[in-house]
Amino acid sequence: MNIITNSNIQCTIALAALQNVMDPEIGLNIVDLGLIYQLDFDEAGKKIFCTITLTTQFCPMGESITNAVKETLKVTFPEYETGMKLTFDPPWNHEMISAEGREFLNER
Amino acid sequence: MFAATGNTGTTKTTSCKVVLPFYGYAAVAFLVANILLLLSATGLIKHYFHPHTLAITHIMALGWGTMMILGASHQLVPVLIEGKLYSNKLAYTSFILAAAGIPLLAYGFYVFDMGWPAKWGGRLLIVAIIAYLINLAVSMVKSRNENVHAVFIFTAVAWLLATATVGLMLVYNFTYLLLPGNSLDYLPLHAHIGIVGWFLLLIIGVGSRLIPMFLISKYNNTQQLWWIYGLINGGLLAFIFIFLYTDTGWLLLFPLLAVAAAILLFVNFCYLSYRQRIRKKVDEQMEVSLLSVLMMLLPVIFLIIIIALLIMSPKENSSLLITYGFIIFFGWITAIILGMTFKTLPFIVWNKVYHHLAGKGKTPNPKDLFSNTVFKWMSVFYIAGFVLFILGLLLHYAIVLQLAAALLVLTALLYNWNVIKLLLHKPASL
Repeated sequence: MNIITNSNIQCTIALAALQNVMDPEIGLNIVDLGLIYQLDFDEAGKKIFCTITLTTQFCPMGESITNAVKETLKVTFPEYETGMKLTFDPPWNHEMISAEGREFLNER
Repeated sequence: MFAATGNTGTTKTTSCKVVLPFYGYAAVAFLVANILLLLSATGLIKHYFHPHTLAITHIMALGWGTMMILGASHQLVPVLIEGKLYSNKLAYTSFILAAAGIPLLAYGFYVFDMGWPAKWGGRLLIVAIIAYLINLAVSMVKSRNENVHAVFIFTAVAWLLATATVGLMLVYNFTYLLLPGNSLDYLPLHAHIGIVGWFLLLIIGVGSRLIPMFLISKYNNTQQLWWIYGLINGGLLAFIFIFLYTDTGWLLLFPLLAVAAAILLFVNFCYLSYRQRIRKKVDEQMEVSLLSVLMMLLPVIFLIIIIALLIMSPKENSSLLITYGFIIFFGWITAIILGMTFKTLPFIVWNKVYHHLAGKGKTPNPKDLFSNTVFKWMSVFYIAGFVLFILGLLLHYAIVLQLAAALLVLTALLYNWNVIKLLLHKPASL
């Protein structure tokens, strides 16, 4: 799980909150699933910029997941404006699942 | 760097309003077909060319199998081609025309009136398929992202159009002599273009994408899928040629072996996907879907026996032929739909009801929107009914056939119960 960020502290807080956003089919949170690519914080302009992916392009649950990410960041950082980019470059693959995520899927 | 716009670039999927009517229609058709099967069960021992058998077969093939596949594929095509569905209006047009055409056609067969009901039913169906084919073709051209799965689907729909066209010609042939032989002679041609060209090609094309996806499998083998595609289409074209231009029965073994090889390759594809899955637990819906993959082999075994018997003696074995058809429509096709309905529909409904609430509070899991207990009972009744019906057909036991048909009606009722529960789902107060 290699998330690009310009603020490790803020990123840790954001990821802790985003661990509550689940992929409803897989039952695993999107952080351990490896859907978060980048989280940047503009302290002066009070903006967050988040780059995420989906397990498959045109995923039927895509809109729900992106809505949930935006909503979670809004609640966690109420004073920040959230910008989001959905990317498929690079496309998601199984290697992006964290060790914790693999352990979870092994047990279920 | 911080382009903090609200635009997520979200890849919009097909509207659920387009997809859900197909699911509802297919569920009702499945129930109707099973009730008719119960009413006609004992008659099936006689001959496969019976008006009631034709009606049930077409309700199963079109009302159940085709409508469900069309519905699911309107949702899945964007995932498969990685592009938007071109037109919702064309999707509605397909639904309305097919929904009107199928009962007309089935009624025509049931009362064996090859006049206006069967003819209009066939015409409406053909226009519905053309509308879907256009929608699919334009979606693929616009996405510019062709892949093996999309090619499988497009070719399958083209074969569906060929099946329906031949079918309508057979209907016309009852009243105007369009063909050199009688309609009954061409029935194997019509049936196998539909079964192999439409159902087999489409189910493998979609299944090869969905099965590894739902298993979260690392396995992927595009080259093997292209081999499967070539074997199925090559086998089918060879079958058409042999059927129309030769009288040598044993030649039919060549296309049969090509299609059997394709099915074995697909079974191997699914097995390797299963072995290389990251998610260890396989839910009941996937178990039923994987069972249906194995069930693909049953018709092949039956067909080998039927062709072997035909080579030895030209007299048709009616109960083997009916069992062969039953295994395809009530076995393989039904099993994959029973499993995949509850892997796709709960997510479509969940998205419709809860997507705007995502991240704002706790929402139920899509799997909680239907009853898994009802699903398990449905699976038990289905497997028991399916096995008993085959025994009844092969051993000519009328009472076993009726008992098995009653179990299949119960299967359809439980299936409908869960589908209605899903379709009528309202959000719980959060």
